[in-house]
Amino acid sequence: MSKLIYNRRRFLGTAAATGAALASPAYLRRAMAQGSGEVNIWTYNDFVPDAFREQFEAETGIKVNVRLVDDQGKQFNLLAAEQPNPTVDIMTVAGHRFLQFIDSELLAPLDTDRLSNWGNINPTFSESDWATINGSKWGAPILSGMEVLSYNSDIVSAEEAMTWDTLFSEKYSGQTAYIIQDMMSIVMLMKGYDGNMVEYMDDPEKAAEIVEEAKTFLIEHKPLVRKYYDGGAEFQQMMVNQDIVLGHSWNGPAAALINDGFPLGMTIPQEGSYGFVYTFNIANNAPNADNAYTFLDALLASPEIGAAMTKASGFISTYKGADQHLTELERKSTSFPEEQLANLQFFRAEANDMKYGLVDPAVEAIKAA
Amino acid sequence: MNDRPELFRGNRIFLSCIYWAFVLYVFVPLILMVIMGFKDSNFIGFPIRSWTLEWYTGVFADAEVISTFGYSVAIAVLSTLISVFVGTWIAVLLEGRKFFGRMAMFGLTVLPALVPGIISAIAFRIYARYLGIEPGMGAIIWAHAVHNVPFVVLVVMARLSTLPKSQIEAARDLGADPLISFIRITLPYLVPAILGASIFCLLLSFDDFVRSFFLGGYDPTLPVLIFAKLRSGMSPEINAIATVALVLTAAIGIWAERFTRRMNKDS
Amino acid sequence: MTYEAPARQDGPAAAQTSADRTFWGRLAGWGPYHALMRLATASPRRQFLLLAAFPILWVLTQHLGPMLQMLRVSLTDAYPVAPGVEQSFTLDNYARFFGDSIFWMPFFRTLIFAGVFTFCTLIITYPVAYFLARHVSRKNQMLFLLLLLIPFWVGEIVRTYAIMILLGNTGAVNLLLKTIGLIDRPIPFMYTSFSMGVGIVYLTALYMLLPLYSALEKLPKSMNEAAADLGAGAWTRFRRVSLPLTIEGISSGCTLVFLISTGFYATPVLLGGPSTTVFAETIAGFFHVAGDEWPTGAAFATIMFMAALLITATFQRLMRMLRKGENA
Repeated sequence: MSKLIYNRRRFLGTAAATGAALASPAYLRRAMAQGSGEVNIWTYNDFVPDAFREQFEAETGIKVNVRLVDDQGKQFNLLAAEQPNPTVDIMTVAGHRFLQFIDSELLAPLDTDRLSNWGNINPTFSESDWATINGSKWGAPILSGMEVLSYNSDIVSAEEAMTWDTLFSEKYSGQTAYIIQDMMSIVMLMKGYDGNMVEYMDDPEKAAEIVEEAKTFLIEHKPLVRKYYDGGAEFQQMMVNQDIVLGHSWNGPAAALINDGFPLGMTIPQEGSYGFVYTFNIANNAPNADNAYTFLDALLASPEIGAAMTKASGFISTYKGADQHLTELERKSTSFPEEQLANLQFFRAEANDMKYGLVDPAVEAIKAA
Repeated sequence: MNDRPELFRGNRIFLSCIYWAFVLYVFVPLILMVIMGFKDSNFIGFPIRSWTLEWYTGVFADAEVISTFGYSVAIAVLSTLISVFVGTWIAVLLEGRKFFGRMAMFGLTVLPALVPGIISAIAFRIYARYLGIEPGMGAIIWAHAVHNVPFVVLVVMARLSTLPKSQIEAARDLGADPLISFIRITLPYLVPAILGASIFCLLLSFDDFVRSFFLGGYDPTLPVLIFAKLRSGMSPEINAIATVALVLTAAIGIWAERFTRRMNKDS
Repeated sequence: MTYEAPARQDGPAAAQTSADRTFWGRLAGWGPYHALMRLATASPRRQFLLLAAFPILWVLTQHLGPMLQMLRVSLTDAYPVAPGVEQSFTLDNYARFFGDSIFWMPFFRTLIFAGVFTFCTLIITYPVAYFLARHVSRKNQMLFLLLLLIPFWVGEIVRTYAIMILLGNTGAVNLLLKTIGLIDRPIPFMYTSFSMGVGIVYLTALYMLLPLYSALEKLPKSMNEAAADLGAGAWTRFRRVSLPLTIEGISSGCTLVFLISTGFYATPVLLGGPSTTVFAETIAGFFHVAGDEWPTGAAFATIMFMAALLITATFQRLMRMLRKGENA
C-alpha cells in the first residue's frame, strides 16, 4: 500500500499536483470533460491500477471515470434503480452472481471477438463451467478469489488447519469467525453434499433437508463462534487484535495480512472449498459500449497489469503469466499447493434461486437462534 | 457565574468529574485514531513496532482525497443552507399556533429523520428518479437537505417556545408588520438555535454514507471513499485521512466563527 | 444589523424608535412594500395561508413522497420490475413477518436494545448537560458543547474501528490492564452487547445532549437557589425542581434517540456479536442479497417504523400524564 502511494506521489509530483488539484477539484474538471469520449466503471478500490488508468487515458483520450463500490448487492440495487438507461458501462460482478443480473437484463452479452487479448486469460477461468450462460460469455475474468481457512500460525498448527473441523472444535472456542452465508455452502461440502446444489435441482426436498442439516450444525456450534462477520476488513482487524486465531475468510484479505508480515497461514482444507471470479461486465444499454470494449482489451493486454491488480487487492490474477511479475512473498500469499487446489471448485449459479431461497432464511434463523 | 458558588461547590466538582469522564470516553477513540495514522504497517492495532509519517504526507499528496474533501464540504454547506431555511420556516408555522392538521404536519415534518438509513436512501433514489433528478452533487444535496430539516425544526421550535410573546405583540402594537417583526425580533432571538442546528446539519451531511452512496455519481464523498478503501483493509491511511479531514474542518469552523464575529463587530 | 443589540435588550421599543432611520424602517414605509404587506396580511386567514403554503408543499412532496414510494414498493410482489413481468399488489410481504417467528427475535431485541440504550444515554448525558448548562459560564458553554461534538466529525466507520482497537484482545484497555498487572489474560470485551453499547451510546449521546442542554439552559437559576434556601439537599433539588422542569427535554431527547437507534446498522453490525443481531441487519439483508426482495425489505422497514412510532407515542403520552400529575 505504501508503495502504491509512493508511486502515485512520484507520478504526480507532490506540491504542484496538490496545488493544481485544489485549484480545480476533480469533480469540476470531470464536469467540463463531458462530451468527449469516456468510459464509466463501477468497481472495487484498487481493481483498476492507477498507472494503467493514466496511460490508457493518455493513449486513447478516453476519460476513465471510476465509481468505487463496496459490495455486489449495492451494485445490483444501483443498476436496477438506473435501468433502462444506466450511467455505467462496465461493472464488476462475481461470476456466480451472473444469473441475477442476467435475469434482470442488466448485463449485455460479451462479444469476445472484439477483444483481441481475450486469449491472455487463463482458460481455467475464461472457459470454466460458470462462465458460459445461455450460450454467451457475460464478463471478462480479472481476479479470482477463494474461501480459505486462515489461521494465526503462532497459535494454530498447519495440521490443524487442514480440516474445517478445527473451526468448530472446543479448543478454539470463542476464537473463531466466519461469514455465515459462505459457511453454509462449506458446511454442505463438509457433510459430503454439493454446496452449489446443482445436483438437487430436480429434488427440492433433498435440497431442503441438506440446508436444514447445515443450519442445525451451525446453530449447535453457535456458542463456539466469536463473530459472524461481513467484510474482509473486519476479519483482518479481528486477527490483528487477536480476538480470533482462526477463521474462514476470502484469500484476498488474508493475503494482505500475510504481505504485511502478520503470522498468518491459509489453506484449502481437505473437505474442499469454493472459488469465485470477479469479472468486468458490460452493462445492458451501456452509454459508451465501444469505449468499454477498448478499455477491456487494453486492460487484458499484459500480465504486468494483472500482477498490479493482484498486488493491490490480494486476489489471484486470471492472466496467464501474471505471477512472473510478483515478489516472492506476494507469490506465496497468492498461491496454494497443487494438492490443495485439487480440492477447490467454483461457485455455480444454476441453482441459485433454489439455493438462496433456502439458505437466506436459514441464515436468518441461525442469527436469531 | 452562580451568585453564591459555595452553595453548589460539591455538586459542581462531582458534575465536572462526570463531564471530563465523558470527554475522555468520547476522545479516547479519537486519540487512538490519530496515533494509528503514524503506524508503519498496513493495518491498525497494537502493538506498534515502528512509526512513519508516510500516511499523513500521503494524504496531502493524494489529489483524490483533497478534492473529495472539498466536495463533501461543499455538499454539507449547501444542504445545510437549504435545511436551515426550510426548517426555520416550518418551525415558525408549527410553534404556538393551533390549526387543523397541526399534528399531521408535525409528524410529516419529522418523518425523514426517523426512517432507517438504507430505507431512506433507496426511497430517495427511487423518488429522485421519479422526479428526474440525476444522481450526483445536486441529488446528494437534495437528500441531505430533506433528511436534515427535522433536526432544524426541532431545535428551532424549542427555542421559539421560549420567546416572550409580549415582545412580538408589542412590536405589532407599534405598527411593525409580521415580516418585519419576524426579521427584527424573532430571527435575532433564534440565532443561537439556528447556529446549533447548522452545526448539527453540517455534521450529519459530512458523515453520511448511505444516502451519499445511493444518490452519488462518479465522485465519491469522503465517507464513500473511505468505505471503498475499507475493502482492502482498515489501514492507517484511512486514519490519516480522517484525522486530516477533522483538522481541516475544525480550521474552517474556527475561521468561520472568527469571521462572523468580526463581521458583527464591524457592522 | 446596526440595532441588533438594542433590539435584543430592550425589545420592540428600541426597534420601533429606530425604525424610521433603518433599512427596515424605510422598507416598512416604502409604498409598494406597504401595499404588498397590506394585501398579504389583510386577513388572518390569508396570512396563515401564505405562511403555511410553502411548508405544506415541502413536506408533502419532499418528506412524504419518498415514503409513499417505499410504501408502494412494500405492497408489490416484485421490485425493481423485471422486463416482461406483470407487477401486482399484495400483502404477502407483511404476512411474511407475522408468519415466521425467526424474524421476531431480532425485532424484539432491537426494541429492547433501543430502550435500554436510550435509558443509558439519558443517565450518562443528563449530568453532562446539567454541568454544561448550570456550571459553565455562558461564554464558555458553546465551547464546551462543541468540544463534545468534535469526535462526531470523524465518520462512523473510522470511529467504530477505533473502538475495536480500544476494546480488542490486544486493544488499549487490555494492554493497560495487563501493564499494571490487573489481568494475565485479555478480557474479551469485543463482540458482546457491552462493546455494542459503547459504540451506540457514542452515536446517541449527540441526539440526547442537544435537547437536554436546551431544556436545562432555560431553567431559571433562582429556583434552585430558592430551593436550597429552603433547605433542600442536592438530590431533592434535582428531583423536585430540575427534573420536573426538564421533563419535556427528556421526553423529546428519548423519543429522538429511541427512534433513531432502531435504525442503526453499521455500528451494531461491526461491534456486536453472534447473539446481538438487530432488525436493521435483517432489513438490510433483503436489499443486499437478492433483487426481488426489495418489497419484503420495505415491508419490514415499515413494520419496524410503525412499532417504534407506537412505542414513542405511548411514551410521550405517559410523560405528559406524569407532568400533569406533578403539577396537580
